[in-house]
Amino acid sequence: MKSLIRLVALVCTSALALTACGDGNPVAGSKRADVAPYMGADNGFVVKGWKPGDQQSWTEEIKKRNQNQSEYSRIK
Amino acid sequence: MARMKFICDAERCIECNGCVTACKNENEVPWGVNRRRVVTINDGVIGAEKSISVACMHCADAPCMAVCPVDCFYRTDEGVVLHNKDTCIGCAYCSYACPFGAPQFPSQGTFGLRGKMDKCTFCSGGPEANGSVAEFEKYGRNRLAEGKLPLCAELCSTKALIGGDGDVIADVFRTRVVKRQANGKNAGADVFGWATAYGKPSTAPATDKPATGNKS
Repeated sequence: MKSLIRLVALVCTSALALTACGDGNPVAGSKRADVAPYMGADNGFVVKGWKPGDQQSWTEEIKKRNQNQSEYSRIK
Repeated sequence: MARMKFICDAERCIECNGCVTACKNENEVPWGVNRRRVVTINDGVIGAEKSISVACMHCADAPCMAVCPVDCFYRTDEGVVLHNKDTCIGCAYCSYACPFGAPQFPSQGTFGLRGKMDKCTFCSGGPEANGSVAEFEKYGRNRLAEGKLPLCAELCSTKALIGGDGDVIADVFRTRVVKRQANGKNAGADVFGWATAYGKPSTAPATDKPATGNKS
């Protein structure tokens, strides 16, 4: 009987000790989700000409602004 | 969906450092960090001196993302490589991995403490709410969410640095190269860093011709 108790105690102790070797729960949210730029910014610097939340209008605004970097299209 | 990229036209860059100053000011970049810098080669050699403005290229297969032990990097749908400063441990692996020297560390920490990594965000902030004070304090302005492009590119006086949708800016650059070629000038068709950041263009198309030459 005594040996059985010892065996059970040994198994329990070993199981408890080995839990330290396991991986803990992964930290949720290590990669935080970002909000897409076409959703707009919460400040007073958003340019007019596109509608925040509308991806298509944001893309068009960015492409239009891109053309400001080309003098060949600016001087037309 | 637009895929954001930078091109620096070495035929136009005059090493004025306007882009560097604009970036520092717009994003209130910490002391000791330059998210963008101008590199000049063949300094003083007439006809061979070229300058280019370098920052994070927002690589298609970013080495910084691959080596980060805490996985703090992420890529947005617009192809911008960003990082989460709350996760960064300041180990500097990304700094060693980056071929452009983009990730940098503030140098004012006590006992040489490195602090959180800082790099170009393509003026699109970080994981905090777009345009919020928290986002500005950690990452700088989120101009993309304001419907604008990075300030360094938008204010470049010679338009050497162009940034935005990869397809559009490639067209802008191509037009210049063709014009310069037509005028008998140096075409300057080499785009610094693109092969490193986005991969080399595919090799010559396969032909039906059998391979020539002796086989040993």
